[in-house]
Amino acid sequence: MKTSGKVLAAQVERIRDSKRFEIRSENLPTWCPGCGYFGIHQGLNNAIQRLGLPHHQIVIVSGIGCAGRYPFFSHTYGLHTVHGRALPVSTGVKLANPELTVFAVGGDGDGLGIGGGHLPHISRRNVDVNYLLFDNSIYGLTKGQPSPSSPVGFKTKASPQGSVDAPLNATLLALSYGASFVARLFAGDPDGITDALVQGIRHKGFSFFHLYTSCVTFDKAFKTWEHLKEWVHPLPENHDSSNLKQAIHEAMDDPFSLGIVYKRME
Amino acid sequence: MMAQVDLTVEICGMSGDGTIAAGGILNEAMSRAGLFVLAFDSYPAEIRGFGRCVTHSRVGDREMRALSDRTHVLISLDDKESQSRIPFLAREAVVFFDSKPPSYVEEGASIAAHVEPDARLFGMPFSELAAAASGSTRGRNLTALGGFAAVFGIPSRTFHEVIEKKFKAKGEKVLDANLKSFDAGHRFALERLKVEQIPPIPPLVKGGREDLPLVKGGREDLPLEKAGMGEPVYPPLEKGGREDFLEEAEEKILISGNEAVVRGALDAGLALYFGYPITPATPIMESLAKALPDRGGRVVQMEDEIASIGAVLGSFFAGKRAMTATSGPGFALMTELITHGVMSETPAVIINAQRGGPATGLPSKTEQSDLHAAVFGGPGDSARIVIAPTDVRECYDFTLMSFQLAERYQTPVIVLTDFFLNNRVEKVEIPGASEARRANWNLYPEESAKGRYERYSITESGISPRAIPGAEGFLFSATGLEHTEKGRPDYSSDIHSKMTEKRHRKIRGALKDLPEPVEWSSGGTMDVGVIAWGSTFGSALEAVLSGQKEGMQVGALKITSLFPYHAEAIRAFMKRCKEILIPELNYEGQLANLIGHLHAKDVVRLNRTTGMPMSPTLIYERIKSLI
Repeated sequence: MKTSGKVLAAQVERIRDSKRFEIRSENLPTWCPGCGYFGIHQGLNNAIQRLGLPHHQIVIVSGIGCAGRYPFFSHTYGLHTVHGRALPVSTGVKLANPELTVFAVGGDGDGLGIGGGHLPHISRRNVDVNYLLFDNSIYGLTKGQPSPSSPVGFKTKASPQGSVDAPLNATLLALSYGASFVARLFAGDPDGITDALVQGIRHKGFSFFHLYTSCVTFDKAFKTWEHLKEWVHPLPENHDSSNLKQAIHEAMDDPFSLGIVYKRME
Repeated sequence: MMAQVDLTVEICGMSGDGTIAAGGILNEAMSRAGLFVLAFDSYPAEIRGFGRCVTHSRVGDREMRALSDRTHVLISLDDKESQSRIPFLAREAVVFFDSKPPSYVEEGASIAAHVEPDARLFGMPFSELAAAASGSTRGRNLTALGGFAAVFGIPSRTFHEVIEKKFKAKGEKVLDANLKSFDAGHRFALERLKVEQIPPIPPLVKGGREDLPLVKGGREDLPLEKAGMGEPVYPPLEKGGREDFLEEAEEKILISGNEAVVRGALDAGLALYFGYPITPATPIMESLAKALPDRGGRVVQMEDEIASIGAVLGSFFAGKRAMTATSGPGFALMTELITHGVMSETPAVIINAQRGGPATGLPSKTEQSDLHAAVFGGPGDSARIVIAPTDVRECYDFTLMSFQLAERYQTPVIVLTDFFLNNRVEKVEIPGASEARRANWNLYPEESAKGRYERYSITESGISPRAIPGAEGFLFSATGLEHTEKGRPDYSSDIHSKMTEKRHRKIRGALKDLPEPVEWSSGGTMDVGVIAWGSTFGSALEAVLSGQKEGMQVGALKITSLFPYHAEAIRAFMKRCKEILIPELNYEGQLANLIGHLHAKDVVRLNRTTGMPMSPTLIYERIKSLI
């Protein structure tokens, strides 16, 4: 980071002064300007504030990638693990101390690619972990390769002829794996993220948050802000989030409807 | 001269014959009769139909450290398979076999036609007797044991107790069938076997025949009704020795290496176990699944070994003791996260029960070929603690110890066992853990550090106080990236140099808490010094003790701390030896690679990759050739 010491100190001071940003750490995010992750960061910070969760009772576990850096930017306990393994590590944290509020965060490569084998199992075990999957359909930290949620035909330096593999639908996967709380959200709507997170954190059991976001640096064609804003819209008003079959239909029929897709009734 | 019992009994059959079950019953009965037992099964990975099963039980009046190369009694449940055991028979060995085997057995397959003429043959119609007594031939393994008990004079009551314990849960009918099958064999042997046929096993005490039975009151007590009613009595070993012996023996239990690992973990206050099935570590998970919930703990069968070690790290991070157990292939999957434990300075306990490799290798055979993987496996300069028990008692001690080591040094600790160690049973004393051995060794930050806490502060010992989530005022993030003292990612040359040095200094410092090498010699200079680790050490020690008895200038050095290791002590031992011999169950000599440089000249390597435990005779012969 090239920010000069003085500017940085001033920023830190401002952050310390502001009640609103209390949850932020003095390490400022290293994400690119315009990155969708700022919106998610704001959404989660506000949810933690709204619930009044003590910071020392929070552990944020992450994998590798741009989203993997998340713990450093939060004034909580953090565990930045290796690529794809945030879910099993968070399982250990939660079982060891159920008093803690545990978050797992990671990108689509981390959670659907290398770590794709863990989502089914934390879902069926229904461990009380809140998992935020930042889905921008690209590997950003390695500078732009197709991810498991990239569309067919997606052109990158690693797929000059266009990606040939079919994309995964993270919401549909979580529902079919038996996740007991599934929400689909948009990084451009931090307040929507906060509302869903507040419900998901209160939910006793595994909560999955599928967050559509944009990589402004390496994706100029697919999940751009322009496209995402055009595509996303709320779930139908008559959507019954307690009905798994309806939730699965919704996830299949409309990949961009936002809100709490499913919540298992106790 | 002290009376000596040192008898090796093998049972051989196809998988499905009940070979392993019979071996288990035999071991337990011999243990109850007051004898020491060291036993090991060799079996195929498949459940039924694909292979030979052999149980190998060495029983004696003293603790034993290795299997014997010679078999004194062979119980054949499948003569074709048992032919493979003939080369291992001692002179005048006793062979029990089915004199009327099922009709599908090929002609000429009877073991009677193949053994050396000196063998003592005891043909018994196992199948016929079992069927007549219980209505099914399934109990023929027990019928064979009945014959053994009669000939060697073990009270049938001793066997009855063991059979009842084993089959009680399976219902009255199954238990009854097994008891009747046993009795049928016992009765047949008592009635039919002639006194002249009693095998010339070494007399237990001077005087001969009447002292022959291993347990008094067994064979002598004809007729049948009386047999087995007497208390087990062991012939006096030396003047006044008997009572002490029995008393001492009673404190000991027959236990496998795996079960000893479980006891060690339970006594350490294990809270969580995460694992994935793999031979030969699975019994650890199964046993904990039974025992841990009663103590408020939990066993979670994870989706793979990566998830298992991940959850173990997460649990220790959050302040609870956790463990996983695996074998080579699973260990390979764990290596990345193990190095994360090294980098983020998070404790973990990993049992690696080695089997034959590489890749899937030989799942049910023993080998010591994961030493390099355990010490060096994974990316980067990732120093961690590796300890390796050499016998069942040490499986307990080292597992117990590993939790404290992991906490004090904030590092993954790998307990390296091997198939032979995990699966063999030994009669040993498991003392239970004192408060001191259970104590938490975490170093927490001082209250005064609140608000200015640095998780990775550079200290003289390299150990930095570790806060546990939930503690107010000590927030930090742990990471697998190189980081500053505060835990913030940093790739500068200065930080990486300092932090790498800190982590290595910390692990080097662990040496003072690690078990030191133990020497067996009369001191002074030696012609040959044998250095060994893991289950091979027992064989090495037997060989060295035999050599010493014959006046050879030889010594043995047991090494259980493999990383870090006690270089000075090892070097001092080497200096006093003309030749250093390192026997290992791997191809190249992985311990020799690790410590060979400490010797002034090349160490002599003795390597075997047969999938079987190291033979003491082989080591003995090699020692002899070096003198």
